[in-house]
Amino acid sequence: MSQAWETVIGLETHVQLRTRSKMFCGCSTSFGAPPNTQVCPVCLGLPGALPVANGTAIGLAVRGALALGCTVHPKSIFARKNYFYPDLPKGYQISQFDQPLATQGTLSFVSPERGTVTATIVRLHLEEDAGKSIHDRFPKATAVDLNRSGVPLIEIVSGPDLRSPAEARAYLQTLKQLLEYIGISDCDMEKGSLRVDANVSIRRAGETALNTRTEVKNINAFSFVEKALGVERDRQIALVEAGGNVTQQTMLYDSKENTVRPQRAKEESHDYRYFPEPDLPPLVLTPEFVAEQQSELPELPGQKRERFMAQYALSREHATVLTASRAVADYYENVVRAPAEPQAAANWVMTEALADAKDHQEQLRVSAAALAQIIALVKGGTLSNQAAKRVFAEVANKGGDPRTIAESLGLVLVADTNVLAGWVSDVLGAHAPEVGRYKNGETKLMAFFLGQVMRASKGKADPKLAQRVLEEKLSA
Amino acid sequence: MSVSRDEVLRIAQLAEFDVDEDSLPEIAEQMSRILDYVAQLSAIPTNGTVKTFVPGPDAIRFRPDEVAPSPLMFGPAHFAPAFKEGFFVVPKLGQFE
Amino acid sequence: MSDARAVADRLVKAKRLNALLTPAKDLRKSLLAQAAAARTTGVLYGMPVAVKDNICTLEFTTSCGSKILEGYQSPYEATAITKLKAAGALIAGKTNCDEFAMGSSTEHSAYGRVLHPLDKTRVPGGSSGGSAALVAAGAVPAALGSDTGGSVRQPAAFCGVVGMKPTYGRVSRYGLVAFGSSLDQIGVLGRSVHDAARVLSVISGRDPRDSTCEDRDPLRLPNVPESLQGFVIGLPKEYFPAELDPAVRRACDRAIRLMKELGAAVREVSLPHTPYAVPTYYVIAPAEASSNLARYDGVRYGPRFDGHQDLHALYRTTRGQGFGPEVRRRILVGTYVLSAGYYDAYYRRAQQMRALIAQDFRNAFDRGVDLLFTPTVPSPAFKAGEKLSDPIAMYMSDIFTVTANLAGLPAMSLPIGRVKGLPIGGQLIGQAFLEDEMIEAAYALERVVPATDEA
Repeated sequence: MSQAWETVIGLETHVQLRTRSKMFCGCSTSFGAPPNTQVCPVCLGLPGALPVANGTAIGLAVRGALALGCTVHPKSIFARKNYFYPDLPKGYQISQFDQPLATQGTLSFVSPERGTVTATIVRLHLEEDAGKSIHDRFPKATAVDLNRSGVPLIEIVSGPDLRSPAEARAYLQTLKQLLEYIGISDCDMEKGSLRVDANVSIRRAGETALNTRTEVKNINAFSFVEKALGVERDRQIALVEAGGNVTQQTMLYDSKENTVRPQRAKEESHDYRYFPEPDLPPLVLTPEFVAEQQSELPELPGQKRERFMAQYALSREHATVLTASRAVADYYENVVRAPAEPQAAANWVMTEALADAKDHQEQLRVSAAALAQIIALVKGGTLSNQAAKRVFAEVANKGGDPRTIAESLGLVLVADTNVLAGWVSDVLGAHAPEVGRYKNGETKLMAFFLGQVMRASKGKADPKLAQRVLEEKLSA
Repeated sequence: MSVSRDEVLRIAQLAEFDVDEDSLPEIAEQMSRILDYVAQLSAIPTNGTVKTFVPGPDAIRFRPDEVAPSPLMFGPAHFAPAFKEGFFVVPKLGQFE
Repeated sequence: MSDARAVADRLVKAKRLNALLTPAKDLRKSLLAQAAAARTTGVLYGMPVAVKDNICTLEFTTSCGSKILEGYQSPYEATAITKLKAAGALIAGKTNCDEFAMGSSTEHSAYGRVLHPLDKTRVPGGSSGGSAALVAAGAVPAALGSDTGGSVRQPAAFCGVVGMKPTYGRVSRYGLVAFGSSLDQIGVLGRSVHDAARVLSVISGRDPRDSTCEDRDPLRLPNVPESLQGFVIGLPKEYFPAELDPAVRRACDRAIRLMKELGAAVREVSLPHTPYAVPTYYVIAPAEASSNLARYDGVRYGPRFDGHQDLHALYRTTRGQGFGPEVRRRILVGTYVLSAGYYDAYYRRAQQMRALIAQDFRNAFDRGVDLLFTPTVPSPAFKAGEKLSDPIAMYMSDIFTVTANLAGLPAMSLPIGRVKGLPIGGQLIGQAFLEDEMIEAAYALERVVPATDEA
């Protein structure tokens, strides 16, 4: 029977930094412009052009490194990575090699299999993006768009610390959340601002040495991460169990077929001939600059989750949902501050607000102040829960003041004891046998009476008050 | 001869140009001559303690993150050898891409 | 103030030298338009300056002496050109050069060799041979060149004109087609120290588009000094070897004697790592060049050559046919020394040697020497074809000039005599960013040295 296999996965993540201009020139980085319109001599690789570094990109990279607990090196060197490809205009990419910006960080995440895992971040470095090659626009030709050429990237390399495709996904999810939190990237895999390549190898359970690994590329969506890595792992296991050897090669994931295939039948291993970039002096970071980036870091997701649990008496599960993104976490706190009771706020945000956001491009359409008001209206007995949800939907679609809307929709609960007394009388009058049974001890019939009062009032009776009036009348 | 024909071909492949069979021996010989000549550098003891030197500023200057592209008097359509619908056009890589 | 037509005429008359790549018609048309638009208040108003063809201009194409950029019209201009135009100068055509500035004779141009103005069987030097020849022929008072290992100074010496290379980082490289990025500087050739210095001053100064350009004001020109009182001139003994051409030695001795008579103190110094300079240079320059020239792939600009059925074929025919043999040779050497397994032994070792060479200069200057004086080239202009069979023989031409590029120091050549009618150049090497002292000494020497007399 097949032996127990262990999968070893390391991830290389490329993240586009949120800057207005490119890494080494002043061209715009905005997405979706017509091809080759956001270009200049530098990012076109024209003869004689020279790179000039974007200070904000450097700052964002440092923030990323600090958030990952890396050692940020006061001096690092840009290096040329030399290879030929049509979307690499200079014939080399300006990156970093043996003296990168940052090394030795960690990222803790929750593995579906092993609980909390702390992965090593081996390095984080700065580089420029290449342009885009489109292979299916013209027959027998490749179309090249250099708008993306030169956009700032950070490359984050994990150690071989992940033990399953599911773990890889969890790591990536946590990394994405962290980088979104600190605001350095949109981390959108569909838009290409987050890209991941994986290194995969297998070994027998209990082995400590690492075996030959393959590189898996072309994973274009979050949902493909687990699938692609699972397919490659299975391929390696099948190969070795059949007596073969895993050879070092690059595998491309095909999402339509859910398979991996080698990138090239005979792939020459790249000799990138790295050497220090002679057009750029060393990248020197003053302590003041690094301190400034540190001070710009917001509370990180883990810290925020712990604080929410303590400060708002939330369960870990609820705190995790509410801190999943900074936008939601800030929103929640704004609701609580408005003020609103933390538990009620949590319930409303987790159910109504997030459900609505899911259908509306993640927009939190009801302002924190308005939500707090709705919560107050329920707490104060002015609205039933059901009615409040209607008001919420109305505010989400059309805006406006919750109280006014509740009134205009006729949803405000009736708390007038006289009116209530009228309904109660009607109900009790119409159900004399039940009244008798109640007085004989079947106190559970209270729910029945209350239901009838709600029906009679078409839902407008304040249930708590109605119950009290019922109790009074029935005990009389 | 310190550089073999095969090495010349491998290097030429990295540098993406063809070397025709006839010129190979001469090129290998010239390359060897040059590399032998510069190899005298390895005779100098440096013990790995000598730092490298590059002239120029000691530290990179940071550019502000503003959209301010370097001027182009005309766009790629004017100088590209093959340009269609706004794209540079190149022949495909081969049957694997 | 020159008349644009007269300028054009002089340039066209020098056509036989093959120094100018710009067709006469284009040149005339452009000069007239430029003259009409030139800034009359500029310090170089009306001065025609020819430009080496590896510097991007909006007027005229930029081919770098290569087929791979034949007909290439740059959509932007070099910062140095912008500064020249802002000073009222006229861009007087593009000059022929060794392909991508790789060479010491201008025999490696795809557009034919340049003739020495005084002897058509000889080379004018390189790689800025076209610029030097035009200045020597009197067609223009000044021209821009580029100097990576001596490519401004050596042709200046061969042609009997002044050639200046600034401190690395003094002049912006934005728009200079890169060859050896850590070595390249735009330099100036001129018929006199003053002409060259004026132009150098205008093109110098900060440029936010070049990260290796220092944040300094433009060079301030010194006054012509009365004497060389107070100057200490060092003579590095490694630059005066026993086998130095006797005529070159005589010319240098004469120049040294004249400097002493002007009041300079002269002393012998040693730059012990000098013998390693040429091999160091011929590791670093080709290595950087192999990377800088990777962009010439036929994808985005330049011509495409036939036979590109797939991408690799496009690359290989473009580069195989577009680059000449010297460029291909240097790319191969450069690719080799950077490749896996060889980086430490060659490139890294060369960069360490570079530190030792730079330290030699610092030691000399720290001991009270202001400037160094040396021959520019071991011998005068050689015959065309003489050094083509052995690349090393050609490289040895650079023996006295590469050190200034390796150390990033300013250096210049000025004519100090003749041998059988052929010019001989003397070189001054200055301290970093102290071009003014170097120019001051050159002014003084120029006034007294009999540059056209046999040595």
